[in-house]
Amino acid sequence: MASFNKGSTLRSILREALQSISRNRLMSVISVLSITAALMILGIFVVFTLNIQSLTANVESRLGMQIFLSEDYTELEKTNLEKALMDNPNIVEVTFEDVLDAKEKFSDELENYAILTTDLTGEKNPLPVSFIIKVDKPENLEEVKAYVESHSGNGVEYIRYGDNYVDSLLRFNYFVNILSILVLTVLTIISFVLIYNTIKLTIYARRKEIGIMKYVGATDRYIRTPFVFEGMVLGLIAAISALLLLRLGYYYFFGMIKGNVVIPIQSLLASPESVFKQIIVFFIIYGMALGAIGSRFAMKKFLDV
Amino acid sequence: MIEFIDVTKTYEKNAKHALQHVTLGIDKGEFVFLVGRSGAGKSTFIKLLLREIDVTSGTVKINGYDISRLTKKEIPYLRRKIGVVFQDFRLLENKSVYENVAYAMEIIGRPQSKIKKKVPNALEMVGLAHRMNHYPSELSGGEQQRVVIARAIINNPQILICDEPTGNLDPDTSEDIMNLLTRINNFGTTMVVVTHNQSMVDRMEKRVVTLEQGVVISDESKGRYDHGFF
Ligand SMILES: Nc1ncnc2c1ncn2[C@@H]1O[C@H](COP(=O)(O)OP(=O)(O)O)[C@@H](O)[C@H]1O
Ligand SMILES: [Mg+2]
Repeated sequence: MASFNKGSTLRSILREALQSISRNRLMSVISVLSITAALMILGIFVVFTLNIQSLTANVESRLGMQIFLSEDYTELEKTNLEKALMDNPNIVEVTFEDVLDAKEKFSDELENYAILTTDLTGEKNPLPVSFIIKVDKPENLEEVKAYVESHSGNGVEYIRYGDNYVDSLLRFNYFVNILSILVLTVLTIISFVLIYNTIKLTIYARRKEIGIMKYVGATDRYIRTPFVFEGMVLGLIAAISALLLLRLGYYYFFGMIKGNVVIPIQSLLASPESVFKQIIVFFIIYGMALGAIGSRFAMKKFLDV
Repeated sequence: MIEFIDVTKTYEKNAKHALQHVTLGIDKGEFVFLVGRSGAGKSTFIKLLLREIDVTSGTVKINGYDISRLTKKEIPYLRRKIGVVFQDFRLLENKSVYENVAYAMEIIGRPQSKIKKKVPNALEMVGLAHRMNHYPSELSGGEQQRVVIARAIINNPQILICDEPTGNLDPDTSEDIMNLLTRINNFGTTMVVVTHNQSMVDRMEKRVVTLEQGVVISDESKGRYDHGFF
């Protein structure tokens, strides 16, 4: 192709895409909504996964262990246990905790691993007195577990491990992932079909122009470009809408959590900024690719002449 | 320039042939009328030439090149060598006369500087330079057809194909259009004109190829429309 006034061409392609979108307003809006919905589902899933990762990546939560003493423990049992815990070189921290000051503590020390190993509402906890310990390395966890169990005499009622908590989080995350993939697949197909039909309408409205272009010898690529562009614009609008909605939603959710000091898990969640940094590019590519592919398919039949 | 060698075209299996064993050569610079009843195969002939459809058997050559060997990507470049004027090949209503003609250059990627120079010349040639900034709805049928012709020749095609170019026009206007086509032909463009306009064909005394049910039943230089019909 000879030299080409790229600037004005791009501008005119963009203008035509917008004109065409406003001509097919209803279909355009429906396909944008559909892609937005698909991306929102994807977004919720991503936010969820990032948070699970953020929670589980926090190795401290795996290294925590809480040893609850029975209601009728003796001071001797308590002292012996404390001594045993202190003696083990793999246990780096030992804290004695009484439920009465627990609440206060949690709201002060947000990053304390104990958060994950304690029932956070005092009245639900039937075992008010405990030792909270921290293991130095994940590979020593099993050994310490065995050690603690062997040194837990009658005074110990129950031991809670941080990794149980993590495991159930991961199981839940797995379930959420499967569900999200299913929903996302269905929504992607629906979006594709909607985009495809929207662009078909556009093609139909401009069939005369396409005929002229073909007979004058425009290349398929040239003919296809404005339609693919239109699809990409629809996808882009959808991606931006989904991002804005998700951001709004996540801020709201984040704010809600912040407001509740009894559950100070906010510090362990992925921040809205980090979440959106990670999804913004992917969303825009996904939306635009879906639009482009949908239009290409819509054009295919038309250009096979 | 154009060679049909034993060309047969059947649209659907077991349907009757749209063209049967057509062998026909058209030289560079020739002016040929293609006549025949509706359904005789005239449009099929044109579509084969543009490779809008493929032959069932036989060969279509342009400039000695078998066009069935063109890849899908190369077909647009074939079409740039062939201008077309269809009866139903209208102008874009939302573009001015100038823009309609310029459009044909834009879509094959010609630079604006060339477009600005050539479009007024082409409109001058078809006698519409003064209507450049009008819109199609402001033009008469004959004037619109002139714009279509200007658009068809703007990229200097070697061949100009007209399918019923005067189908919707009154006799005087048709006469003008035919004169315009003759003038374009005189510049060296090979001309293939499909028409039902009997008196025009007779008066022009050009080569006339007559199709009947997909078969060439006559091919006469300085021919007449009615040959073989009555
Ligand atoms: N797309 C098509 N599919 C099937 N049959 C067709 C198609 N186009 C034309 N035909 C048939 O081929 C024959 C020739 O048609 P055509 O070339 O259009 O004739 P003309 O242009 O001379 O009127 C006719 O019998 C017509 O019905
Ligand atoms: Mg016809």
